Amino acid sequence: MSPAPEATEDTQESGVNRRALLGGAAALAAFAGIGPLRAQSHAAPRSYRLEAVEIAARTWCVYGAQEDLTRANGGAIANAAFIQTPDGVVVIDTGPSKRYGEALAQLVADRLPGKRILRVYNTHHHPDHVFGNQAFPREALAAPQAVIEAMTAQGEALAANMYRILGDWMRGTVPTPPGRALNASREEIGGRVFTLTELKGHTACDLVVRDEETGLVFAGDLAFLDRAPTTPNADLPAWRASLAALRRMERESLLPGHGPVDPAGASLEQTLDWLDWLEGTLRESVARGLTMNEAMATPIPARFAALGVARTEFERSVVHLRTRLEEEILAEAPSGG
Amino acid sequence: MLRIRPPALGAVLAFAALSAAPASAQEIPPDPLKSGMWELVAEENFPGEIVFDPRVKLSLPAAAEDQFHVPVTIDARALAAEIGPIEEMVVAADLNPIIHAVTFRPGEKAEPFLGLRIKVEQTTPVRVGVRGADGIWRVAAAVIDAAGGGCSAPAAAHGQKDWMSTLGEARALASRSDAGETRLSFRMRHPMDTGFAAGVPIFHLGELSLTLESGEELAGLEISAPISEDPTFNLLTRPSVGGAAVSVAARDSEGNRFAFSIPLPGEAVN
Repeated sequence: MSPAPEATEDTQESGVNRRALLGGAAALAAFAGIGPLRAQSHAAPRSYRLEAVEIAARTWCVYGAQEDLTRANGGAIANAAFIQTPDGVVVIDTGPSKRYGEALAQLVADRLPGKRILRVYNTHHHPDHVFGNQAFPREALAAPQAVIEAMTAQGEALAANMYRILGDWMRGTVPTPPGRALNASREEIGGRVFTLTELKGHTACDLVVRDEETGLVFAGDLAFLDRAPTTPNADLPAWRASLAALRRMERESLLPGHGPVDPAGASLEQTLDWLDWLEGTLRESVARGLTMNEAMATPIPARFAALGVARTEFERSVVHLRTRLEEEILAEAPSGG
Repeated sequence: MLRIRPPALGAVLAFAALSAAPASAQEIPPDPLKSGMWELVAEENFPGEIVFDPRVKLSLPAAAEDQFHVPVTIDARALAAEIGPIEEMVVAADLNPIIHAVTFRPGEKAEPFLGLRIKVEQTTPVRVGVRGADGIWRVAAAVIDAAGGGCSAPAAAHGQKDWMSTLGEARALASRSDAGETRLSFRMRHPMDTGFAAGVPIFHLGELSLTLESGEELAGLEISAPISEDPTFNLLTRPSVGGAAVSVAARDSEGNRFAFSIPLPGEAVN
């Protein structure tokens, strides 16, 4: 064959990659809260006012707003946490932007003066959790290989959409995947021991960190409390299995990726309840022949009334999950006619 | 204050009279969304008299979760109840590189109602124009906020080597409500290439027709490339539709023909 068709294939391939990139940007919207763009004022540079709440012994959480990404909240919607070890500090997730990461690092320095940051875990690749990585020592950043790969593949597209949504809050932010892939189920960091479990379902790889000293489990976005779960990369059966694994995990308490610290495990029940309702509702909408817009208008049960952004997350989930359910529920049509 | 000298005024009046003469019925009403593309979109998609009419329902989300799959539902049942049968319903997106998305022609046995998904290249107004027997286009419009690129990236199918082998493959479902209303859902495999992705020529489903066992056409569609990959539609029939199946025949822009049928549920379900 002449080289011409190959050249075409190459072109196609790079095009396909571009689509994957755009698809990543689209997927971002799930937690992105792409509402109508707001006019930006020319006021002073924005700054995050982060507050550390002690949730266990020598363990602090910086709570995210139970909202979508907006220019009002600067994208600070996910929980970040830090733990004091005898010899330094461990950080879990770094927030949505370079500026947030810097504010978080400053908060750690203020709270624990002179303590070095020894390890930064990324629980999964979503930008509201990891786009503050830049502000931390490169050698401390660590995540499972699959999380690093997802950050590497989708980082640019996710960043483009974050800039589109958050504007100046994102200034200078460059996706910074960790250089260190975790390959142990247990790490001793600065004299404190952490067990690491790779689960999946919210994304293709969700890292769960358990602090052996306090029994506090950092569940990442496998668990949401009082905020509707996001599903852009969700695999519902895998997510349910991971929730069951978390329920079995020995623990004193649990920190969801979004929502307050949860000693009783209510976040696991609430997340499962939401996922079950979501899937059941979508299946029924396909079986009844409803359009996607009709499905989006389904009333949300009263028991979810207290969940933040339930309506917007539900509408997004319709787009994420309906097509897959249609493939399953619509029957192969007899050909000819 | 502007003073116009008599000769100039005369010229203005003469011009106004000329342009007002036969074409006055075609005057395009101002766009509530103030889109710079509106006049072109109107001329190409809704040729004739146009009014914006709240009886035409256009449902789409405020923001595109996925610029490759924007769900749209068009519904002119309330309008049809007042003005009679609807002849065609046209969906167009102002700022897509190909503005026209679909033309839907419901027959006597179909409700003027359609669920579909479109691709959007950027944040854009989306319109539906509905034409009844009086020839007037009654239009509804809304803006969808979107990240870029929905019409200029290759279909996901091109990431797979064997996509041609499943071209046109269909899945479908008919469900009947207590009220006797039948809803038809179907999805056909097709990449729906717009021609704007590097190295991928335009290639999309074009015409599609649904026929009842009696031979009567239930509905027809003219489909353009901005319809999402693996086009999926939801239709609503009138209660009087009977028979064992609806036949679907389609043709794409390369002349490939596809045919399948959607089995109908029995009359006495529930």
